[in-house]
Amino acid sequence: MSAHLLHLETAATLETVEDILTAMDGFAEQQNWPPKLAFTARLVVEELAMNVASYGSDDPAKPPDIEITVDSEPDFLRIDIKDTGRPFDPKDAPDPDINASIEDRRIGGLGHYFVDEMTDEMVYRREDDKNHITLTIYRI
Amino acid sequence: MDLAVTQEQGGIVVIGAPERVDGTNARDFQSALEGAIADNTRAAVLDMSGLAYISSAGLRAILLIAKSLQGRDGSLSVCSLTDSVKEVFEISGFDNVIPVRASREDAIAALN
Repeated sequence: MSAHLLHLETAATLETVEDILTAMDGFAEQQNWPPKLAFTARLVVEELAMNVASYGSDDPAKPPDIEITVDSEPDFLRIDIKDTGRPFDPKDAPDPDINASIEDRRIGGLGHYFVDEMTDEMVYRREDDKNHITLTIYRI
Repeated sequence: MDLAVTQEQGGIVVIGAPERVDGTNARDFQSALEGAIADNTRAAVLDMSGLAYISSAGLRAILLIAKSLQGRDGSLSVCSLTDSVKEVFEISGFDNVIPVRASREDAIAALN
């Protein structure tokens, strides 16, 4: 495996999301990412992995598998996530009402909004019974 | 989760946020916040100077506490946000519903 790639494959559960985030922190350090890039990359990976762990399967005994590849290039970061959970296109998630009052403000719904807002490109496809999301974050 | 809690005059409590609030510890964080807020707490200030990372799970916990305080005529404000945390607050629109103050002193002054 090349030095600028991080590759993880695991069952998606709350516990493994913690492991995934620890691996992201280590990779950020190894790649010498600036704090803002490390924050953004960790956030989008957490939001997507938490979603797979929380909603990907009806049966807690059979969590979906998740495969994450992060490619750290000089000009951009590419985050590729495949999971065997139920079909879900992040673009179908409703945007939160960010102007609602505190009483009306709904709990949740923010994760995918962050992914959309904090990345430059997002491509989703369903293939081989997997969700496959590719995100690009430009560094310049 | 242990949080640094300081009682100020006038039923104000200042709570120091941990270094990180994400999907793996957001429930603990929420319980710790609930534990820091007493029946006679009028206002809570969450000091985020030490908070380097927060995700939607952490924001969810903050919103639940803000709603709970508002429900009994109290309030939650936040202060001393680091740059990335501030950006997340702005993108999510949380800065529209939860007052953001520059410092702990500003947050307390705004309540008096």
